[in-house]
Amino acid sequence: MSGAQEAALAVQKQDIRSRWLLSAPALLIIFFAAVGPLLVMLLYSFMAKGDYGDVRFGEFSLDGWVSVFFQRDIFDDTLGLADAHLSIIWRSLQLSFFTTLLTLILGFPTAYFIATRPPHSREIWVFLVTIPFWTNLLIRTFAMQQVIRNEGLLNNALIWLGVIERPLQIMYTDTANLLGMTYVYLPLMVLPLYASIEKLDFRLVEAGYDLYASRLQVLRRIVIPLVKPGIIAGSILVFIPSLGAYVIPRVLGGGKNMMLGNLIEMQFGSGRNWPLGAAMSITLMALVMVALIFYVRNASRGGSSHV
Amino acid sequence: MFKSHFDIRSQPGFGLITLFTFFALYLPIAALVIYSFNGAESLSRWDGFSARWFVAAWQNAAVQDAAIRSLVIAIWAAFLATIAATMAALATTRTTPYRGLTFKYALINQPLMVPEIVTAVALLIVFSRIKVWTGYSGLGYLVVAHTAFCIPFAYLPIRARLESMDLTLERAAADLYATRWQTFRHVTLPLLRPAVIAGFMLAFVISLDDVVITEFVKSGGQDTLPTYMLGQLRRETTPEINAIATVFLALSTALVVVFFFINRKKQ
Amino acid sequence: MTETRTTAAHGGAIGMHGIKKWFGNFQAVDDVTLDIRSNEFFTLLGPSGCGKTTLLRMIAGFELPTEGQVLLDGVDISSLLPNQRPVNTVFQNYALFPHLTVAENIGFGLKMLGKPRSEIDSVVKDMLKLVHLEGRGGNPVTQLSGGQQQRVALARALAPRPKVLLLDEPLSALDLKLRKSMQMELKRLQTETGITFVFVTHDQEEALTMSDRIAVMSTGTVRQVGSPWDIYDRPAERFVADFIGETNFLEAEVVAVSGDRARVRLSSGAEIPATFPADVTPGGKVTVVIRPEHAQVGTPSPASVLRGIIREIVYLGTDTHFHIRLEDGTTFTVRQQNARSGSCGFSKDDAVGISLSDDVAQILRD
Repeated sequence: MSGAQEAALAVQKQDIRSRWLLSAPALLIIFFAAVGPLLVMLLYSFMAKGDYGDVRFGEFSLDGWVSVFFQRDIFDDTLGLADAHLSIIWRSLQLSFFTTLLTLILGFPTAYFIATRPPHSREIWVFLVTIPFWTNLLIRTFAMQQVIRNEGLLNNALIWLGVIERPLQIMYTDTANLLGMTYVYLPLMVLPLYASIEKLDFRLVEAGYDLYASRLQVLRRIVIPLVKPGIIAGSILVFIPSLGAYVIPRVLGGGKNMMLGNLIEMQFGSGRNWPLGAAMSITLMALVMVALIFYVRNASRGGSSHV
Repeated sequence: MFKSHFDIRSQPGFGLITLFTFFALYLPIAALVIYSFNGAESLSRWDGFSARWFVAAWQNAAVQDAAIRSLVIAIWAAFLATIAATMAALATTRTTPYRGLTFKYALINQPLMVPEIVTAVALLIVFSRIKVWTGYSGLGYLVVAHTAFCIPFAYLPIRARLESMDLTLERAAADLYATRWQTFRHVTLPLLRPAVIAGFMLAFVISLDDVVITEFVKSGGQDTLPTYMLGQLRRETTPEINAIATVFLALSTALVVVFFFINRKKQ
Repeated sequence: MTETRTTAAHGGAIGMHGIKKWFGNFQAVDDVTLDIRSNEFFTLLGPSGCGKTTLLRMIAGFELPTEGQVLLDGVDISSLLPNQRPVNTVFQNYALFPHLTVAENIGFGLKMLGKPRSEIDSVVKDMLKLVHLEGRGGNPVTQLSGGQQQRVALARALAPRPKVLLLDEPLSALDLKLRKSMQMELKRLQTETGITFVFVTHDQEEALTMSDRIAVMSTGTVRQVGSPWDIYDRPAERFVADFIGETNFLEAEVVAVSGDRARVRLSSGAEIPATFPADVTPGGKVTVVIRPEHAQVGTPSPASVLRGIIREIVYLGTDTHFHIRLEDGTTFTVRQQNARSGSCGFSKDDAVGISLSDDVAQILRD
């Protein structure tokens, strides 16, 4: 081994060491205030619940996990399915799915339309999508509330138009949740879709028309397959926060239309069942992971199919 | 209008849907802003144009408190997150893959992958215990929690800038007798500055906007503006909330506009 | 202090001994030994991927050799960092610092070396003059044209008075006309400053115009080192002959050898003299090269060394190319200058004879 090679190895070693040192603050902060607590929570989900919240530290129990899905009958102590929990989980999944679908239906044409504008006006359209995106989620939820509440803009307009006589009760229903989430998460769908449509090579579309495709066929057979990675990215970006939504159902859905996020909060508040809350949180994370794995698989496949 | 050619890009109806999308995006915000100028006691009716609720909000001690707290936390969190993210970005870009690199990526982006409510209750569990142990229950917990979830946002533009940066510039500096530190100080850092500012602003906005994690981490009497508003929403709301929201909205929009122009100047 | 800036300073000599460089499983440089003399304009010439840029980067210190040594004036600098080597580079894309002005770019090296302000200012002024950019010192580099950026990059690399200046295809981004004038400019700067220039290019014409000596490289090895004349007129092997200019390759048999000359018999039966680089023995089969401009087309006569039929005539303005199908089926190209206007007097399918100028054939090393 030559001196130069030794020097090269030494340089490389030192480089990697300094790279660890440089990243240490970020890694430590995230470990202390994000990843670490999740691990602690995992431990908590296997402990017995304390009488006034918290857990009996070190006392192992599977009760938390069992009660995510089952409930003990008060009278004969048998286990039955925890209908309340399961229906809330199911509702969360359903609402998230429909939110994704609605944002896609609105977002795809919007992103496509923006991406086909001249470059300069494109920038302005995107900017207009970005502003609501950066506006406080709570404020946007509150803004939606102003539109759909009984004396809100929507009902007033409908009454004024003579479509209805008495205001529609939208607040505190699943519809309110759905509208709120669609409204709040719409920019998350438009932006990645726009990014992938903008990169679309429109000569391929031209070739499609040249080969006798109609507008619909071009859309279905050429555009959509090519921007699939963007569609998947957008869907994931909407689906994941929808699944973990907490503020929107709290403000718009009210107590009767809880989602998983509110159910978790309840265990740490009035429910005083931290192990159950911890187990539910991990269940929610697991659902998110499944969605992410689905994304990674499809994104890598979609990406390589037309390189 | 007469079309002179077949536009291969157009799809029927997409323009209309786009129009509807933008209408839907901006109508609620517009309603919120307009109602903040409502002179009436309640949101149920419109009683003429007035700025009285802005005055009321301005003079409300709880609002003042929460606003200042929000700013203090956001400035600290953004500051710390930007420094940590800049260092981390320098450590994770422009290198051949080394052992632990993927681990670093995963860890840095972890706060983006986990639903906020999950992180929030996890922090509640850990911090409530630490609060008991140490007896300290100041703003530090909020700052640390905010810093953690701000890091991936600050990291994003800085990493992107570093990756698109021409490596030969630093090589040229080394060729011209600059030591590693001189290269960083005279070449890398000046070129990185716009991205660092962008990262800081992103982190600042993200921290300012946070509701969920703050709600679970804060001790009594530590309301930030968003958690204060969340609390108020439980009651019958007055246009005061609209006024607060409008000011908030104006502030974050101003930041986004500045951000937009910084980014544009760079290109 | 002024003496550091006087012209005809001592340019450094570079020695590269047994250099090998591996990138993972790919060997970029395979046992290269080269001596670059003090004060010379030395060119590394070769197609992309031949290892020439890797060699240059090892002189600069951006790459360290896997094996072998890099010497500067006899001192091993193989393991020094780039900022410890008195060697500067003009980068292919110039790598000007976009956040600094022209003057700040030029003064960067001196500033890093901790030179006093006054010295930096005066060197920068001299450099601006040297590259004809007087009065542009305050301009942002981003507002300069390609040619001006090129000059700033040169001035920046020359300002610290390096012992060796490395130039990595610096002219490739310029248009043809600018490239021509920069070639002259570079040659002038090299003579004026007395600094050793090591120039990397894939453009043979650039190499022939500017260099004192050229090293032709291919697949990580040096194929031939010599003056432009050596390289062009006396190519040692097929790759060199083929890479530099257009060439005719003819199969031949050695008839006799005397001194540094041999007589070879071509397939047409004609015998011609040829120079050779290495041992050849009578009776051996060899390949000889003849440059197209060293042959003439005429009506068949006893003086014709080769005969054939014109397949194609390509008119190129300054000269005309004849593509001739020889009797043995191979194609032979003749380039003739268009000394007078009007038709060359031949047309397609004419039977012609080819005669050769004296002493133009060269036998290739196997």
